[in-house]
Amino acid sequence: MKPNEIDDILRDTLRQEVAETAGALSGLEEQILGELDERRPRLRVSDWLRQMLAPTRGGRIGQLSVVGATAAICLLIGFFVAQQVASDGNAPGIRLTPSRATDGSQEVLFVLPALDATDVSVVGNFNSWEPTALSDEDNDGIWTASIPLPPGRYEYAFVIDGRWWGQDPLADGYVQSFGEYSSVRYVGGGDGA
Amino acid sequence: MYRVQDEVSLLRASLEGETEAWGEVISRYKDAVFGLCLGFLRNRADAEDITHDAFIRAYVNLRRYNLEKRFSTWLFTIAANLCRNRLRYRRNHPVAELPTQIRGGADPATIVARDDRHVEVREALTQLPYGYRAPLVLRFYNDLSYREIADILSIPEGTVKTRIHRGKAMLKQRIEEERDRP
Repeated sequence: MKPNEIDDILRDTLRQEVAETAGALSGLEEQILGELDERRPRLRVSDWLRQMLAPTRGGRIGQLSVVGATAAICLLIGFFVAQQVASDGNAPGIRLTPSRATDGSQEVLFVLPALDATDVSVVGNFNSWEPTALSDEDNDGIWTASIPLPPGRYEYAFVIDGRWWGQDPLADGYVQSFGEYSSVRYVGGGDGA
Repeated sequence: MYRVQDEVSLLRASLEGETEAWGEVISRYKDAVFGLCLGFLRNRADAEDITHDAFIRAYVNLRRYNLEKRFSTWLFTIAANLCRNRLRYRRNHPVAELPTQIRGGADPATIVARDDRHVEVREALTQLPYGYRAPLVLRFYNDLSYREIADILSIPEGTVKTRIHRGKAMLKQRIEEERDRP
């Protein structure tokens, strides 16, 4: 085989493969737009909130009320998170804090400091590696999500603005797959069996 | 076809809630995204799922897209991350693989008529570790630069070059071994 022959074969093969199967994509646009239309009520709520918060000449009192209520909620959440983080004596700012629930699951708090991030999520075998968003309501760069998990062994990683962050300092261990690390956490002494 | 042609205007219109504009974006990029997913995942049904999810996720997160950066790179990053998540899921929930064809692909007559070389490459590509396969797909299907591939896969540019070089060598070796087999 000539040195560059593999380049051409590879290029041809990948294109041919897609050409053979891309018929399945017909109607994708309609399908996605339909699904987005179904989600529209949720989007409209956020649009409404944005409009309420936008500066206009009229209705200033109403807007200030919304701002005040939002700030109060953020403060409450921030206070709650700060308490959770402060209760950790082992690591600076990061904590997985289990608290028992009645069905045997434990509420596990995922916390990650990411000061400049705009989108932080956690993926793991507990959510089929589909992102669960972390939130930072008080904009202090500490992102949190609380997820109820039954006892077991869990592999997970954070995704910060699309970048994989597999080494949580508080993890019980790490595994390497696909060339990258994931964190391992044991909840309730479970072994993930 | 949607009346606006340039990409930035399409994205701005999409941001303002004109879903028709997003439909045009999907039309322009669906083959590229599907090809990426098919190359990464080697499974047609999964590739279709992830292509769909990538466009939904991109739309929902469109406000986070920086218009100064290349849209395709941002979109491919979303698709690549979803693919990686699906591969991790498949590690615990495997599906039957058909190595010489993509599941649910062409009809048998087309498969028989297909160039043997392509069959060999498909099989070798499926057996290649993900870490080598992904850069090859982005390079040879999506025609991306080393820099863009590095951004999408969150690995250094030098690593991309190494993996593409070694990936091609591994492919070549597997194909030649297959040919030498009696």
